[in-house]
Amino acid sequence: MTDNDKKWIETPISRRGLLKTGSMAMGGIIATSMFPGRVLAADGSPLGNYPVGVAKDSCFIGLGCETTGPYSAQGADNLKGFQMAFEHLNNGNELMRAISPDSKKGILGKRIEYGNVDTASKPNQAIQGMTRFIKQDKAILTAGSVSSAVAIACEKLGQREKVIYLTSISGSNATTGEDCQRYGFRSCVFGATASKALKPVLEKQLGKDKKVAYLVPDYTYGHTVFNSMKEFTGQIGWSVATEQVAPLGSSDYSSYLLNAAASGADVFVNICFGADAVNSIKQAKQFGILDKMTMVIPYYTPFLAQEVGAEIMQDIYCVTDFAWQQQDQNELAKSFVEQFEKKYGYKPEWGAEASYLQIAMYAEACERAGTFRPEEVIKAYEAEKELETMLGKVHMQASNHQLVHDVPIIRGKKPGDMADSEDYFDVVGLTPGADVMRTEEEAGCKLGSYT
Amino acid sequence: MTATAEQTSTRSTSSKKHGWGHLAVEAAVLAGLLAAPFVLPLISMSMDVMTRSLIWGLFGLGFAILFGFTGLLSLGQAAFYGAGGFLASYLLTNGIIEQTLLALLIGTLAACVLGLAIGLLVERSKGIYFAMITLAFGEMFYHLDYSTLSGYTGGENGLAGVPVPLIGSYTIETSLGMYYFVAVLFFLGYLLARRVVASPVGRMMMAVRDNEERAKATGNATHLYKLVAIVLSAAYGGLAGGLLGIFQNYMPPEAFAFESSAQLLIQTVIGGAGVLLGPLVGASVWLYLHDLLQFNLGLGQSWKLILGVIFVLLITFLPSGLLGEARRLIHWLRARGPADEADDNEAASTVVADAGSWPVDEPTPEYGPVILEARGVSKHFGGLAANSNIDFSVREFELRAVIGPNGAGKSTFFKMMAGVMPPSEGTVHFDGNNITGKGVTRVCQMGMSTSFQINELFDRLTVRENLMIPCLAKARGRFRLDMIRRAERVPELDARIAETLELVNLSHRADTPVSHLAYGEKRRLEIGLALATRPKLLLLDEPLAGMSPEERQNTVRLIKSLRAGRTVIVVEHDMDAVFELADNISVLVEGKILVEGPPDEIRSHPKVQEAYLGGVDA
Amino acid sequence: MLTDLISSLPPWGLVEAQMFNGLQQGMLLALISAGLTIIYGTLGVLNLTHGALYTLGAYAGYVAYQATGSFLTAIAAGALCTLLVGLVLERGIIRYYYNRPDEDQIIVTFGLGIIIVEAIRSYFGGMSRNMPAPDWGQGASQLGFLQYPFPLYKIETIAISAIVLLIFYLVLYRTRLGLVVRAGIEDSGMVSLLGVNVFRAFFVVFAIGAMAAGLAGVINAPITAPTPDGGEKFLVYSFVVVVLGGVGSFPGAVVGGLLAGQIMTLTSLFYPSLSEVMLYVAMALILIFRPRGLFGQAGRT
Repeated sequence: MTDNDKKWIETPISRRGLLKTGSMAMGGIIATSMFPGRVLAADGSPLGNYPVGVAKDSCFIGLGCETTGPYSAQGADNLKGFQMAFEHLNNGNELMRAISPDSKKGILGKRIEYGNVDTASKPNQAIQGMTRFIKQDKAILTAGSVSSAVAIACEKLGQREKVIYLTSISGSNATTGEDCQRYGFRSCVFGATASKALKPVLEKQLGKDKKVAYLVPDYTYGHTVFNSMKEFTGQIGWSVATEQVAPLGSSDYSSYLLNAAASGADVFVNICFGADAVNSIKQAKQFGILDKMTMVIPYYTPFLAQEVGAEIMQDIYCVTDFAWQQQDQNELAKSFVEQFEKKYGYKPEWGAEASYLQIAMYAEACERAGTFRPEEVIKAYEAEKELETMLGKVHMQASNHQLVHDVPIIRGKKPGDMADSEDYFDVVGLTPGADVMRTEEEAGCKLGSYT
Repeated sequence: MTATAEQTSTRSTSSKKHGWGHLAVEAAVLAGLLAAPFVLPLISMSMDVMTRSLIWGLFGLGFAILFGFTGLLSLGQAAFYGAGGFLASYLLTNGIIEQTLLALLIGTLAACVLGLAIGLLVERSKGIYFAMITLAFGEMFYHLDYSTLSGYTGGENGLAGVPVPLIGSYTIETSLGMYYFVAVLFFLGYLLARRVVASPVGRMMMAVRDNEERAKATGNATHLYKLVAIVLSAAYGGLAGGLLGIFQNYMPPEAFAFESSAQLLIQTVIGGAGVLLGPLVGASVWLYLHDLLQFNLGLGQSWKLILGVIFVLLITFLPSGLLGEARRLIHWLRARGPADEADDNEAASTVVADAGSWPVDEPTPEYGPVILEARGVSKHFGGLAANSNIDFSVREFELRAVIGPNGAGKSTFFKMMAGVMPPSEGTVHFDGNNITGKGVTRVCQMGMSTSFQINELFDRLTVRENLMIPCLAKARGRFRLDMIRRAERVPELDARIAETLELVNLSHRADTPVSHLAYGEKRRLEIGLALATRPKLLLLDEPLAGMSPEERQNTVRLIKSLRAGRTVIVVEHDMDAVFELADNISVLVEGKILVEGPPDEIRSHPKVQEAYLGGVDA
Repeated sequence: MLTDLISSLPPWGLVEAQMFNGLQQGMLLALISAGLTIIYGTLGVLNLTHGALYTLGAYAGYVAYQATGSFLTAIAAGALCTLLVGLVLERGIIRYYYNRPDEDQIIVTFGLGIIIVEAIRSYFGGMSRNMPAPDWGQGASQLGFLQYPFPLYKIETIAISAIVLLIFYLVLYRTRLGLVVRAGIEDSGMVSLLGVNVFRAFFVVFAIGAMAAGLAGVINAPITAPTPDGGEKFLVYSFVVVVLGGVGSFPGAVVGGLLAGQIMTLTSLFYPSLSEVMLYVAMALILIFRPRGLFGQAGRT
């Protein structure tokens, strides 16, 4: 009889509060199947899918990268980042070793296997898939997101099931803010950090006391990014000329753009993401807004430049997590970009970078902790060790599980200045991580328990 | 697709013969539910998928009642799923209610209230309009969830942290426990659904599906039954939504989205809409395919493309869904054989052989007081006056015929008498009551019944089941919420049906599906449906329409035999029949009554000849 | 108090611009919905592939544009491609569904829609495609009376949509084929009894209806970048418009489409987050008070 079978025939109902440490006397594995995740753990004892998920010579990582739905292009890019990371770990690679020096083959010697659920950017699909990975495949780690709703739902699931979850793309403040989880980690920029990062660059490039028209998509993410932008640009005297709220998924932005044009603003801040960003920017061009105002995109959607074209993208300021042009300043970035391009035929977008980096950091944390056991791995993260990566020096902020790193600000190049067909941007600023990280108070994060 | 006559007939006959048959099915389902966690993993179906399928199956029980049995295609069930789900989740997550079952109950009740509200607005719609208006409501609620009420529902993030079930002082923390929790609720829901379907209310729902107008005309307030169906479907949806939140510890915003309504429909169609367990089977297949295609076969990005192909194939080759087709197969295997041919031969012969069975040539009874009276009745359609200022009265026990050339306004007049159409002017009185504008249903309950020119039968039911509809209306009034008792157990129902079958000489065809009847038999059933409510006044619209000479003779005899103890008004074209049958004849020409009188007078009346023939030159 | 109300209204320049915008969107919806309504009206088929056909037209146009650089060729390609696909779908699958209940048609066309969309995604990937406006559609114009400049291409789509709808109208009301189609909408059984090969007309109807969706897709491509999922929204809207205008009614689809366009754009002036929901509210209200839609025939479901 396997462990799985034992799990099926347990008693279904337990008395509330039956967290008897006496159950440990029955031995680790049986205890796990009787009361999954509920045992008050001491070191080495079962937690989440440890040790059952790594009992053999492989470990399983569950991914949630959309292959259909409105963000399928970004999801596909994320997936490639993950796949390259797994390959580099399984086979050894100098880029991976630079980030995670103790990694030899796999993670702690275990070969990585993985599965991917097509979330279609829907939280419920993600939960379904991740639950399957955790319960059936005994995933030791889950990762991947484009939409913050998915990321938040998955990290909460991870917290409940005691399996670590890593985001790829997630722009909402809440992911490492009010919805933060002990079992969730984010590496990428988001609304608040992007706004903070923009401030010095915008001040330098455009000056103080500007009037701003905002295009805000009508969902929680949109509103929180708007609030962050308003707060931080307010510090350089920028004021809100108009706030145009557009329903998510609009295909026609005319009225909002007209209002923006009529508001007399100098700067147009576009908070839309994905296809909304593409359409609103193209239509802004048609309405002549780009000729009158400078556009700022506080959160860059991967592939946006490819989709709108260089002609429209020029002179637009964006915040991104990683631009491949950073390879000029950073050897690891160069290695990452070159290897990715060689493998997949195009230069990586920042989602791929975030995915790769998250896996590399996880491998590093596990090696440092010396175990897969989540509590120890989390504590290894929380030691705030500084790592050398393609983003430069980074460290995880223990209070809210947010990675702190320098944030690049990019600006669209004139089409004539492009070195090749993918060279859409100049990196016009790199705001230090220390300037953009949030304090405990600002984040409002209360991490849950380890066990 | 929906329950066929074979399915329902077997159900009713088997319920008579084998009360145990029902229990056997239910026991089998229970056994299946209990055994599934041990058996299904063998084909690598996970417990997660099983529990999810049960939740969709529960949602689908309500939808099967609404769509499969009542024939109302709703594309907005997500509104109930989301409403019940979010309310229950909200109460549990915020600690307002700690007992899970109580929270689920509140969510379900809220969904019922919502169903009632929406139902009152949509009950008049039909077909695609019903589908679209329910879609609209679904989308409106989605918007509420995503935008307006996002403070409570979490907007695009949904509501996480729904606690594990707490029942009394027990919590359920394991997958197996959760499965059984959901399975128990599903089974209870299933038992209730079976009761409802077998009850008079269930019969009414199927009548609405097959021929709502006739169901109305036999004295049933069909819009109320439709409302019951909508509210029931809302209840099941709300309960399922609550279970989803509890099962996942997370209530997703997509519960409100159109795709939930669409997924429900797809699953129901795949499994079989006319079968209560169809949605459960469909959900299992759908979710299983999802898992299989995404994870086990390594199809990568094209998994959805393959899924699309598979389900187009499924629906093309299995039109009644998996369970529906299985049922058809079983019936086909059982029903095959020489028996049917004999039935057909018998049918042909009875049409002619009936001749002697009815009493004929009875003396004309004495008339009673005036039972139906129209005073100054007119009907205008825009500028056209179809009927002008008609005064018409019929005495009890009279057999009156109404004749007239084409375009005289007979149908309009008939419809006004029957209560199908209200007059533009004037009043209609029946049995001393003013029935103007009261509608067919109430009029039927008062004792006036109609049979139509074009057969309005319940095509998917048997003869007996057809007659059940008016008989139930007679026994229970226009509406009664008796969802729990079996239709067959309504007192005196069998006796009434048997009586009516005797009267129209269809006793030997009682369990034949309507689709197998000969035309003449269908006409007799048509009249039978009107008779079944024991009306004081019987209105027959062209009862001889489309009949062969022998059939006509038989029907004339039938009508003569029916007039005993009741009043009959016949609208007809067939002059011979009219002159043979009628005590008195009213001639309607150009929207007005030209003459009235006994057949001999009318036959030789010059004005009548002129009206029909355009003048007779001597 | 009245002056307060008036001053809180948006300036006239914006309102007129939005009405123009509503006209453009309305014409687009009218075009898509006209195709859908004749399919449903004549064939009785609830065609949920309509959104996918919109997307197909957009992508076909894109491919043609990439190959030839000519916008007019792109329009022709979009139309032709969806015409052919419509023919294939009808002959291959849809015609087996004529006698099957509504829900079967909904599901199979939904499935076909998924197949088309996912096939497009497999081939082109998930990124949106860039289809620029043609040279004769660049820039914006005030047309001599508008307060704000309106993108020239949008004005041109109004014209193009109107021309296509006019051609539609001429075909439906002035040709023999159109007569058969309109008779078929009323009573297809009767038409067939009269000896007219109604089925040949049917498949032309389906193809034309599909073509309408494809044309709309390619015409709208410079405004809303084509993505594999882009047609979904138009599918739902077009159903709302068809029902609002009355099922099977060509004038209903046109009027309904124009009305829908105005409802959405004018609502976005006042309550942007309600702009799409308002369309559903409007439809629900119309159906409650006039259950057969604006121009629909009584008794038709």
